[in-house]
Amino acid sequence: MNLYDCKILLVDDERALREMVYGFLQRAGFHQVAMAGNCKEAEKLFPDTEPHLILLDVMLPDGDGFSLLRKLRQISEVPVIFLSARDEDESRLRGLGLGADDYITKPFLPEELILRVTAVLKRVYRVKGVQEEEKIALGNCMVDLGSGVVHWNDSENKNQNGAANGEYDREGEVALTAKEYAILQKLAQERGRIVTIDALCDAVWQEENFGYENTLVVHIRRLREKIEEDPSHPQYLLTVRGLGYRLV
Amino acid sequence: MKDFRKEKVNYNYKKILRFFGYGVLTVLGMVFLTGVLNIIFLISAAVAYVNTDSSYIQGGKVMEALTPTESGYELDGEMAEEFERQDQWAMLLDQTGQVIWSIRKPEELEDQYTQSDIARMSKWYLKGYPVQMRVWDDRIMIVGMQREMMWKYNIEFSISWMDFVKRTFWVFFFINFVWIVVLAFIFTRRFTKKRERARIEWIAGISHDIRTPLSMVMGYSDTLEHAEELPEEARQQASVIRHQSVVMKELISDLNLTSQLEYSMQTLRKEETRPAEIVRAVAVSFLNDAMPGMLEIEMEIDESGEQMVVKADRQLLVRAFRNLINNSVKHGGQADTVKIKISLWEEKRKCYIRFQDNGVGYSEEVLRRLQGRKKEGDAENIRGLEIVRKIILAHGGKIGFGNCEEGGGYCVILFPNRLK
Repeated sequence: MNLYDCKILLVDDERALREMVYGFLQRAGFHQVAMAGNCKEAEKLFPDTEPHLILLDVMLPDGDGFSLLRKLRQISEVPVIFLSARDEDESRLRGLGLGADDYITKPFLPEELILRVTAVLKRVYRVKGVQEEEKIALGNCMVDLGSGVVHWNDSENKNQNGAANGEYDREGEVALTAKEYAILQKLAQERGRIVTIDALCDAVWQEENFGYENTLVVHIRRLREKIEEDPSHPQYLLTVRGLGYRLV
Repeated sequence: MKDFRKEKVNYNYKKILRFFGYGVLTVLGMVFLTGVLNIIFLISAAVAYVNTDSSYIQGGKVMEALTPTESGYELDGEMAEEFERQDQWAMLLDQTGQVIWSIRKPEELEDQYTQSDIARMSKWYLKGYPVQMRVWDDRIMIVGMQREMMWKYNIEFSISWMDFVKRTFWVFFFINFVWIVVLAFIFTRRFTKKRERARIEWIAGISHDIRTPLSMVMGYSDTLEHAEELPEEARQQASVIRHQSVVMKELISDLNLTSQLEYSMQTLRKEETRPAEIVRAVAVSFLNDAMPGMLEIEMEIDESGEQMVVKADRQLLVRAFRNLINNSVKHGGQADTVKIKISLWEEKRKCYIRFQDNGVGYSEEVLRRLQGRKKEGDAENIRGLEIVRKIILAHGGKIGFGNCEEGGGYCVILFPNRLK
């Protein structure tokens, strides 16, 4: 399924805001957007439209978004992003554990909205966006994130980079371990940006990841041995001292 | 150990003192005033209604006014008039109880009294007449009034009872005093709480109502900014609108947060958090957004700091740390590159976090305001730092600001509730 074929149900009582968000979504490429102005309408529309995602305002004229979500949760697992106009909603959302997938605090910028919507859709339905990269090129090596294999000096790659690096010339394939794969995937997602040690541990060990910093260092070193030409002088997987790592 | 770790962390109890003192002092003042007013009222009422003249003519004075004669005694004329005027009477008894002199003595009274008579009248009444006795050498002068003129009663208490009263009096006084203070505190607190709640809700309501319209200002100005069919100038203007609406958004959430923290109404969603992790995440988000070479952040977290866990509202801590770094980035423009050094360490089972920059430092005025010594002022805008201070204080922490000798400002934060 294409990301932009996803159906979105937009629930907000403010007509002008509804239309604006509708415009944003349309322009971003989502062509199936339904709108509702209150809980009743939303409940009526829900079975017909079968949305892939609901953008839900917290304050609605006939009840709040939280209770509507609770109702919906009984019949569906559809991802929900809250649009809230209060700072306090943030804490309520975190506290209630209602199973909302994300929340956006008003006012918001169009990019922010689209970014969150696509992020949730990608996560939930594992759909791919248009420019989603499966492979990442790191100099003479190519990491295939689909299979988790590092290809050194593929014929196509070789043409571009040549064998100028002489002594570091490597060939063949190396498979990544699950942990190395998780680290690299996280770094690739945020390519060019620093990822903190903590975020990496989160990505690799999920919960209860405290105390894995030293283990992380070991995994990073192994990963470098697989993707760097000179692991002791890394060119791509860089350390940002005291903070984390960065994939350039 | 670095010497900056010895720096004193400034914080203030003033607010609590002011709050506590205000209500309680008011009520204590009212209690005192009520007491004074009562006494004044009582005295003036007594003066107005009570016949203060009704006291016995003193037996001693009568004795002095008496002069012995051959046939008995003779009273000085003035004193005799006094008896007449006050409608009192007197008699003088000798050793045997025989009346040897009298003036205006009621007729029903005898001329001879036994020892038991004398003993009785010394404590009670003489046939209903209130009397007062004065022993003079071997004689007894008895001054009396008319019936129903005087109330008398004998009081006697055991020494242990008196002792008890003496001791307990102060205890009771103290207990009552404390009780009044506590009551005063509770009542003023409830009263002010109610008012504060109304104000906070009002502000929350306004900030809520502004958000939806602002969403549209922000959304459409952003659309216009990116609309390629518009002339460059119009797009520039749209960009300004968008930027300013972002500023307004920040102002609104600052306003809301400040008002809630001010009255500690923000329910802190405390969870176990690792300050090291939060500091890193915040630092990285700044580094990721900064232009290359504009910002350098040096982290100094030792092993104990790394492992530290505190109970805190993660979202608020992120906010506080963001504000601190933001402030350094905004006002630290002394050098080309803003350099920030963040240290985190444990000392005496407390968590310390220190932010230091290479900027111009804090002005005297700002420092005074950050220490809560000065309430208002508009020389410089320190709203962001005020929020930091409030967030830390709301967590029961302490915070201090200062300037380094080598230039630049620093901020030290202390969390007492270290868990691990």
